[in-house]
Amino acid sequence: MEKSFVLAKSDFQKFLQRLSTFGAVHAPVRVSDQSFAYKPVDLEKEIAFEALRTILPPKKFLYPQREALFSYDESGIVSEPQINEPLVIFGSHPCDLAGMKVLDYIFTAPPGDSLYIERRKHILIVGLSCLPDKYCFCESMGTDSVDDGYDVFLTDIDDHFFVEVATPKAAELLSDNDFLIPASEPYKQAFKDFWHDRKALFTNRFETSNLPALLDLEADNPVWEELGNRCLSCGNCTFVCPTCYCFDIVDIAQLNGKGQREREWDSCQFTDFAKVAGNNNFRPGPIDRLKFWYRHKLHGFQDAYQLPTCVGCGRCTVSCPAEIDDIVGVVVRLEGSRQRDSIYAKEEKN
Amino acid sequence: MPTVKMTKTIPTISVYSLTGCAGELLVILENLNKMLPYVRILSFPFAQSTNDDGPVDIAFIEGSVSNPHDLERLVSIRRRCKMLVALGNCAVWGCVQKGACSRFDAEQMRNQVYGEQSTIEVMPASRVEDHVKVDVKLSGCPIDSTQLLAVTASLLKDHLPYIPQKPVCLECKLKENPCILIEQNLPCLGPVTATGCGALCPSVGAPCYGCWGPSEEPQMEAMAQVLLEKGYRLNEVLTRLQAFGAPTELFSRLTSSQALVNPPDRSN
Repeated sequence: MEKSFVLAKSDFQKFLQRLSTFGAVHAPVRVSDQSFAYKPVDLEKEIAFEALRTILPPKKFLYPQREALFSYDESGIVSEPQINEPLVIFGSHPCDLAGMKVLDYIFTAPPGDSLYIERRKHILIVGLSCLPDKYCFCESMGTDSVDDGYDVFLTDIDDHFFVEVATPKAAELLSDNDFLIPASEPYKQAFKDFWHDRKALFTNRFETSNLPALLDLEADNPVWEELGNRCLSCGNCTFVCPTCYCFDIVDIAQLNGKGQREREWDSCQFTDFAKVAGNNNFRPGPIDRLKFWYRHKLHGFQDAYQLPTCVGCGRCTVSCPAEIDDIVGVVVRLEGSRQRDSIYAKEEKN
Repeated sequence: MPTVKMTKTIPTISVYSLTGCAGELLVILENLNKMLPYVRILSFPFAQSTNDDGPVDIAFIEGSVSNPHDLERLVSIRRRCKMLVALGNCAVWGCVQKGACSRFDAEQMRNQVYGEQSTIEVMPASRVEDHVKVDVKLSGCPIDSTQLLAVTASLLKDHLPYIPQKPVCLECKLKENPCILIEQNLPCLGPVTATGCGALCPSVGAPCYGCWGPSEEPQMEAMAQVLLEKGYRLNEVLTRLQAFGAPTELFSRLTSSQALVNPPDRSN
């Protein structure tokens, strides 16, 4: 089978229907004036193609907000969850695809998280191109385009989508259809032009290529105290982050001796996160915690795995009630060589 | 740490109410069928007419200490129970009665409500732990059934329950609600309020007003700063933050408006 096709937008519903034969299709849907969320969709008109970032990233499908690990009674473990629901994630942009690759790396590294690995097998990912807004900075993080991490990728070229079929799973699903046409030269050129021209559209950017060194040098920069003092410790930045993977495990006990062990997303911004025996806390205040999070995103995985865990999606920036997650603004401040207005500065209303 | 022994007899519980709305008692009543096979009720005046106010394994206490009679009963209960569980915002934080007493004089309020000739005795509303040792604090307004049963199960198994005091934002974000504090500039106190409610109010578009009490080490000043920058007045911000009994120590620096930096100029 060819790998590159075009899909006329007028045929999109047919494409969507074919995807749904794999599993329930989840795509960005508008939930408020400013926000979108991945929800199950049947029809093209339900999908918000304009969505740049959903409230929660698609990590919620790979690693749900709250899930049962097993149920137990007084004799021991009595049942573990069965994961066999196939699912299509439609409309993930390059930043989110990069985010899912980071999660894959973390959860599949030996010994591997069996629930994650099982869930991942049943997911088909359809990526979608995008044009940046003022919060996007994937270009600075090197995640503005991805070569893998998807089964199918759609690039929006006027009245068509340029369709890349990347995996045998997707090729099999999309075989024998009347809506994908092998890409001819003009479409291939339009595809190349789209990705070439897109580079120039990023306004939220920094130049630094050596983030770990910058973070180390500026560990005592006053910016940490300034931002930490504004921090609400609400944890929003971590829940909306495509790569934050920390969880808490709790037993929900019943009086009859039965119960369920559950895991739930947790946040390094909470006081009890780093608390240990004796009521000692490695990161007692919001300043410590905020700096820890910034370092983990921009520095944390570089030493060990050459992998930054920030993908530049801008979710933390728009989800912070205290307006302190202007990542690019902080990096520029740490660089100290140029001035930049806060991304949160409101535009003048006429 | 006193523990509950299950060796010979079925463990006993008593349920007492000080000054509160009895919401916690209703939650216990609703869950009695699940609790009764495992515990024996000695005293529960809200639910039965014959009560045994003798020694008991677990005493559940609802309500704040708002008059001398409350205090007298509380001290007596503490002497008779192995484990004391403070249930609900009133017992754990003092709730709206403590919120009011943080701002107004208790005697004056009594005179306005009951008249100066009234013989009703009042004292400034306070938490159960202000007077006696509390073994477990389970807040809520009212408390959550699942948490109540899990706490009881833990105590019967001889270990202390884990009751997180993470903020409402946790459950709100996990439900993927649009943030009403950011998008609608509503005075939502989710970031500084303990969750367990399932982010009930923000999920229907109403701002959290803090009824479960403060989260663990709430950043009250940062919360006030965010609300002031949205144009709320300091007095309103303080009223909201203190309404459900949050301890006044959390606001010591806030009561002087100079303590807060001026909102940045957003005009350009």
